Amino acid sequence: MRNNWRISLGIWVLVLGITILVGGLVGPETKPVIDMPDLDFFPDEVSDGRYFTVEDENGRELDKTARFVYVGDEFITQDNYHYRVKRVDDRRAVAELLGRVDLVSATEDVQPVWSLVSSKLLPVQNQPRNLLAVYNTHSAESYVPTDGSDSIPGGGGIFKVGDVFTAKLQELGVDVAYDKTPHEPHDANAYKRSRRTAIQLLSRGPAAIIDIHRDGVPDPDFYTAKISNRDATQIRLVVGRQNQNMQANLDFAKRIKAQADQIHPGLIKGIFMARGNYNQDLSPRSILIEVGTHTNKREMAQEGAALFADVITQVMGLGGRAGVTPGGPGPVGATRIGGDWFGVLWVLGILLVGGGAFLLISTGSWQGAVDKLRQFSTKEWANALRRRKGDKKPDNQ
Amino acid sequence: MAGFPIGMIALLGLAALIYFGLAQRVLDRMYLNDKVAIGILAAIAIGSFINIPLFTGRMDISINVGGGLIPIGLAIYVLTRAGTPMEKWRAIGAIIATAITVFLINGLLFTDDPWQGGRDWLDPLLVYPLAAGTIAYIVGRSRRSAFISATIGVLLLDLYDAFYLGTTGTPGTVAIGGAGAFDTILLSGVVAVLLAEVMGETMERLQGGPKPEGHAPNLLRQLSDLQGHQHLAQPAKKELPKNAGDEVTDEGRRNGHAE
Repeated sequence: MRNNWRISLGIWVLVLGITILVGGLVGPETKPVIDMPDLDFFPDEVSDGRYFTVEDENGRELDKTARFVYVGDEFITQDNYHYRVKRVDDRRAVAELLGRVDLVSATEDVQPVWSLVSSKLLPVQNQPRNLLAVYNTHSAESYVPTDGSDSIPGGGGIFKVGDVFTAKLQELGVDVAYDKTPHEPHDANAYKRSRRTAIQLLSRGPAAIIDIHRDGVPDPDFYTAKISNRDATQIRLVVGRQNQNMQANLDFAKRIKAQADQIHPGLIKGIFMARGNYNQDLSPRSILIEVGTHTNKREMAQEGAALFADVITQVMGLGGRAGVTPGGPGPVGATRIGGDWFGVLWVLGILLVGGGAFLLISTGSWQGAVDKLRQFSTKEWANALRRRKGDKKPDNQ
Repeated sequence: MAGFPIGMIALLGLAALIYFGLAQRVLDRMYLNDKVAIGILAAIAIGSFINIPLFTGRMDISINVGGGLIPIGLAIYVLTRAGTPMEKWRAIGAIIATAITVFLINGLLFTDDPWQGGRDWLDPLLVYPLAAGTIAYIVGRSRRSAFISATIGVLLLDLYDAFYLGTTGTPGTVAIGGAGAFDTILLSGVVAVLLAEVMGETMERLQGGPKPEGHAPNLLRQLSDLQGHQHLAQPAKKELPKNAGDEVTDEGRRNGHAE
């Protein structure tokens, strides 16, 4: 026992020592305390400039992105054709056409019977809280022609795009929680860091949460367009596939695109359903947007972001606005989408299949699985459900 | 939750319910009884709203009570409670192996952002706990080792971040466990234990039941008395409440496969 305390004390001293050491490196100046520029110890912040080209089976170019493309990735093009990547050779991907998406009907409220019944029993407010949350996972992302670099750690030009987006939302009467926490270094773990920012924002109960990025395709013309008589960059919506909210967020993205196609045609470049999570497991109203690319002027990206503010405000019915554009996806039902219930069924399905498989593997038989399941409600929770006096469990527990 | 539709609330509620349910089951295996496990979980939930600043300035470092302090404290507690020197060394070995693996994954696979040529065939959120769970099961042979390795392994990534920011002069933030109950630290611990549980149960099933070597004679006598699969299909071995006596507890500890 004494030995345990020694070990415990040793570990805490070690943790304290590391903390003090790290703290010693933190100073008010920007200059590093330990300078080791030649060791190449840390990842390079600068993009290698390579990107993926996605073509259809006839060799027609469909898309370009700096995002790593995998077999199975899906995307909806600007003109609403749905493709799935079936082959990737080096940086060239080939996608097959799955069909044309009718964004309006696809986003109509699809709800199971029980939700219709429950909606009569419980008043469902159509107006969500008048608050949007905004943050930047890749806080170094910048626009070369304006910012002078594609990457400015801790203070990228992407913050200024976020500022314009926020200002426009506020002008439209929407409250905005914009968190400018930097998440450097710019590696695959940036989402692990920005997860903390996202959860702090979500604790304020926003109607939706938006992570603003820019792409890394070298061709500046790829994202530029004349949109509602303004020179702006287009915006790509990104939905992460590796989480339970995928369908809800995809439906949300479709709503956004449908509304944008009505009020600012050409603004949305498309919807990319990528591998990864992008912290979209935290909210079924979560979207990642790519505002132009690093070779665009930042001012054009800011124009694109301001136009996007119009769209998202109407989709969410915020600032007293309801998305009632003729032919559009309809009023605020945007926040009540079928993907939510699909997500519920998906989670239940995973629970049943995964749990059932585990029970069968661990017990080796159907009867064993049933017995173990029975134990779950008796022995497993025994001392949580009984009074303290009954804390004693059978010896084989 | 006023202002949100029922479908959205149901989806969020169901996911949270399953996550917290699994987390409670995992904590229950960490030398805690059910009630204490629920208490710890409640503390994690409440502590998720509390951030303790450690340093401020060019680089802000803070630790969240629910997502950082409690899981890390629990990991250290579990490590110190290991019953035998062998179990302790196995756990320490698992931490070292996990730490090396986490740094290799971080340094070789995840150096670049997937939007700038980097690869993310599986989200890093899942990669670390899966690696930690596998290594901890192989090296540590226990679910408790899996929890310790995963939480400490991911904590080391935060320390790496602090080191990076400090040495490169990059302004930044290190919010250890800042996402509270949903932070990578606790999430990794939970996923790693569940993975170790699945691996453990599967391996035992494939080899036709627990191996007798190295186990307490008293325990083996009890096992041999059992008839039929339903008795072997007990839940993972759990610590008895403290008032149940140390003898049985030690037997449980020695039962390496079922920790």
